[in-house]
Amino acid sequence: MANKRQLVKRRKAVRNIRKITRTMQLIATARFQATFKRATASRPYSQKLAELVGNLSGIEVELTDSLLEPHSETARDTTLVITSNRGLCGGYNANVIRKAIEHIDGLTGCGTPCDAQMIGKKGITYFRFLKRAMTEVSHLGDTPKFEMIEPLADALMDRFRRGEITTAHVTYMKFYSAGRQRPEVMQLLPLATSKAGDPHGAGANAASPGAAGSEGAAVGGGTAAGGGAGGADARSGGGASGTATGVQFDFSPAPKELLEELLPATVRLRLFQCFLEAAVSEQIARMVAMKAATDAAGDMIKTLTRQYNRARQTSITMELLDIIGGAAAVQ
Amino acid sequence: MATTSTFHCSVITPEREVLSTDATSVVFPAHDGEVGILVDRAPLLFALGIGVMRVDGAEGSRRLFIDGGFAQMLANDLTILTGQALEPAEIKADRARSALAQAGELKITDDASFAARDKAIRRAQGQLKLIEQGG
Repeated sequence: MANKRQLVKRRKAVRNIRKITRTMQLIATARFQATFKRATASRPYSQKLAELVGNLSGIEVELTDSLLEPHSETARDTTLVITSNRGLCGGYNANVIRKAIEHIDGLTGCGTPCDAQMIGKKGITYFRFLKRAMTEVSHLGDTPKFEMIEPLADALMDRFRRGEITTAHVTYMKFYSAGRQRPEVMQLLPLATSKAGDPHGAGANAASPGAAGSEGAAVGGGTAAGGGAGGADARSGGGASGTATGVQFDFSPAPKELLEELLPATVRLRLFQCFLEAAVSEQIARMVAMKAATDAAGDMIKTLTRQYNRARQTSITMELLDIIGGAAAVQ
Repeated sequence: MATTSTFHCSVITPEREVLSTDATSVVFPAHDGEVGILVDRAPLLFALGIGVMRVDGAEGSRRLFIDGGFAQMLANDLTILTGQALEPAEIKADRARSALAQAGELKITDDASFAARDKAIRRAQGQLKLIEQGG
């Protein structure tokens, strides 16, 4: 027979845990809304950036930007893996890490050395446990700011231009909707020109038809086809003007140089958006995990209550039997 | 016509829309010096530098620190896209000062480090300038 006192104690413990998980679920919900708002707040920027690139793509520019093609014969890859700093979010980190390892091992198997750059404590700890080589980035916090991401993107672009790496990827939990997130590997560098169908980037966020998406930045940059440009040549002052999308623009510096500045901005934005989406996905994962924990605690409380009641009834019956037995013996 | 004396000005960072207002004139730091914008300015597309921008409107003048980016003027709509846009209240003087001191100590070994040092110094100086101007 189960001990009544023990059952009561356990039930109390489970109740307390349920209180905690429920609170965590509510906190995760609030955080989800906050991160989601942050993610949507980057939309105007990406739309406008795409618009700018759109305005420029009408100008005839032969673009040979250093971000569009690798600068070295020997292939080498860097993969950023965005994981969370805290646990209790279900399979969130495990899924991202599994995808990352799959990607890294795949590349290494093909003979391309691949450096892992782990972001977030959970990923770092796990890679340490596996004794895998990696670079650690752990200073970013839960809601990284753009100015923190910027140096990260700049460093990657720098290494890419110097030919130290030929590709750069980001593995993160992509946010499709509140009900669907999937771990994905996104190519950050070289800026993909053939992957116009890639749903990522500003294009995915830019709902307005005017915005071609920052994917368009890469595409437009590569070909820069279009109508006849006016005096698009860079004058000594760096100023130029030309027709783009039917509008006569004043450019400073010349369109070519402007595009060369726009592409890094696109890369930075895409990396930043990865972080934003990862943060949203993390909160959703935590919300779901905590909801499951709360529900499981509820079920456990029900079972324990049933066991307790049965134990109580049994002990009463036993006592009664004792008394009746005792009385019968006296008579 | 009173309605045509102003144009729309918005300052957008990847994190938020910092400013969206009607302005009579805007002065911003382009990559090669300051540029002033008045209503009916011909369309322009400029790369920005680091520094303080000023927006004059009906509610007075506002100043913001901006950190590079792009400016586009099209059909009386000026859009400033920048990595960072700070109001004077958001800047901490001692932090900017220490950033300036740190930037001064950066070692120059190649072009990239020179550019990085120059950028860091201009960033800190721009912030300090904005505080001194008192918004």
